[in-house]
Amino acid sequence: MFSYNISLAMRSLRERAHLTLLMIAAIAIGLGLLMTVKTMTHQSAKVPLAHKANDIFFIQADNRELTADPIVRQPRMVYLTHRDAQNIMKASTPAKAHASVWKSRVILNSLDKDVRPFRSDMAVTNADFFSMFDVPFLYGSPWNASSDASAEPVIVLTKESNALLFGNNSVGKQLRINGLTVTVVGVIDDWDLPSQFYDESFRRGRNDTAFIPDSLAIKSNIMRNERMRCLPQENALRASFRSSDVQGLINSECSFVRLWAEMDSSGSATKYQDFLEQYVNNQKDLGRFPREMNNYVTSLRDMLVMRNELFGGRDPLIYIAPLFFIVCLLNAISILLAKFTRKAKEVSLRRALGAKKWVLMGQYFTEVCIIGLIGGLLGIGLSYLGLQGMLHIAVYQSDYTVSAESLREAFALDWQMMSMALLIALTSTILVGLYPIWRIINVAPAAQLKSQ
Amino acid sequence: MLKMQNVSKIFRTELIETHALRNVDLHIKKGDFVSITGPSGSGKTTFLNLAGLLETFDEGDYFLDGVNVKGMNDNQISELRNQKIGFVFQSFNLIPDLPLFDNVDVPLRYRGFNRAERKERIEHALEIVGLSARLKHLPTQLSGGQQQRVAIARAIAGDPAFLLADEPTGNLDSMMAQSVMELLEKINADGTTIIMVTHDDQLAKRAGRNIQIFDGQVSDRVIDSSDVLIQRA
Repeated sequence: MFSYNISLAMRSLRERAHLTLLMIAAIAIGLGLLMTVKTMTHQSAKVPLAHKANDIFFIQADNRELTADPIVRQPRMVYLTHRDAQNIMKASTPAKAHASVWKSRVILNSLDKDVRPFRSDMAVTNADFFSMFDVPFLYGSPWNASSDASAEPVIVLTKESNALLFGNNSVGKQLRINGLTVTVVGVIDDWDLPSQFYDESFRRGRNDTAFIPDSLAIKSNIMRNERMRCLPQENALRASFRSSDVQGLINSECSFVRLWAEMDSSGSATKYQDFLEQYVNNQKDLGRFPREMNNYVTSLRDMLVMRNELFGGRDPLIYIAPLFFIVCLLNAISILLAKFTRKAKEVSLRRALGAKKWVLMGQYFTEVCIIGLIGGLLGIGLSYLGLQGMLHIAVYQSDYTVSAESLREAFALDWQMMSMALLIALTSTILVGLYPIWRIINVAPAAQLKSQ
Repeated sequence: MLKMQNVSKIFRTELIETHALRNVDLHIKKGDFVSITGPSGSGKTTFLNLAGLLETFDEGDYFLDGVNVKGMNDNQISELRNQKIGFVFQSFNLIPDLPLFDNVDVPLRYRGFNRAERKERIEHALEIVGLSARLKHLPTQLSGGQQQRVAIARAIAGDPAFLLADEPTGNLDSMMAQSVMELLEKINADGTTIIMVTHDDQLAKRAGRNIQIFDGQVSDRVIDSSDVLIQRA
């Protein structure tokens, strides 16, 4: 009976093919938009470094003034001052390693005059950053702890900046950043990250094309092109803190350093929290940290969960796409209803010839499933095209140091999403098909077959 | 064989009730050829629909081949209809985009016969109606008379005990009507009970028994060898 149902369904789909196409197109277009939006949401919610996202923790300590806004939820962009970050990194903590990160925007200049210099974002960090975040290397390796200690003029480039400045393996070669000559020690390979999480921006694609040691950046007074949160009385000094007064910045209460700690277990995180409280208490004794205790040790996974809760519902497309899909389904249901209504006579005949209701239900259920399946497959194709379009827009909106490759992951239609698309197409088509099927199998045969 | 006891059918709307059939008592034996006559709107088709299990009745009992259909669920009724009843309609009701073979195949599919048995039955039924050479033709490629023959083949392919025909010659010219009638008589002679609704007195007289329906009430008559209608006791 199944093969008979398939052949009847195919025959029915060929009948009034324009209506069939219209129905499939409605489902495919609605699903295409829905899956484009869902895939982007799904990819942006993906946990970076999933295998160790429970072991890497973001450290926050609130050193703001008493009159600052009260904390209603765990704050974003409350970072550490440079000296607190350094103090914590030097202290005995339950962490295996620490990575501090802050950002600068510099001009990368090859010593070769034929190569055009370019402006780029740069991350200022320490050697443990690369091992903590599993950074893959194409050439060379990260700098080591002694380079951190001695403020050695070294730099790590990305594959993209290396290609722009040197074209091939640049390890051992020199370049200038804002006039400071540094030696390339490593070139990062394609780094498969769903988002640039380490600076807490979680933006799609990677903007940083260079990495230098924190000690070197402080010693050489590399500009702090960074959002800094200072005490109100320090606001006037903000400009000099950014560009010239390094010591002033280090002694200030301006927080701009993201600190990450890698630990073995969540038990260590509790101990780390105790350590942090103790540290802040000690600082309170020195007249700092005037507010109540607002210290956080948050795993990377939890950071992303919080972020998704905070920003997950902001894109209007998240609401428009399902509504559009529902409209498309309503369109499909009305076409299906019209198509099935025209079959009332045939259904009545089949009933008269002995077809049971559930047998006819199976026949029309098969037809609806085929429509859902074709609509689903076409919808997947359309969402692939939609995502490609969104990728092109994202590349266009990014600066030239962001490669399409680093963004591609955020717009990739994976098997999970394709399966979901088929499931949504089939389930929703079956749901909207239930009413037309119920109507058609309950048609009164006698009235339809009356001889005229 | 087919027995109705005090069967009534009422069509109801919000405003009115129409008694389509009133207290029908009827017994049709195996092998009978019964014609149903009566003016338009008298309840002939309703009677045929009740007999064919296409409609339910409101009162009484109906025994089909010894089985009381009262209280049966839709599955049981569909199965009984499929096994015991063949339908022939005035407008043939063939599925236009299916070849003759597949049209005759429809009730056999629902009967659950295997492929070989279906094929044998379809070919045999089409042979009986003289269309065995046209298995792959579409209904639209046939004349009206031929289409009705296909409908008859579809009705008899499953060897039903009853063949219910609603104005089987109503859409045919006299020559074709004659040939279809001869075919029905042949099928009846082979043992199938036939109940035929008709407006044509001549055709009605060719049946062994005539049931007249007037205002939903049945009067039963036998027809003797000189075509004289005799009221049944």
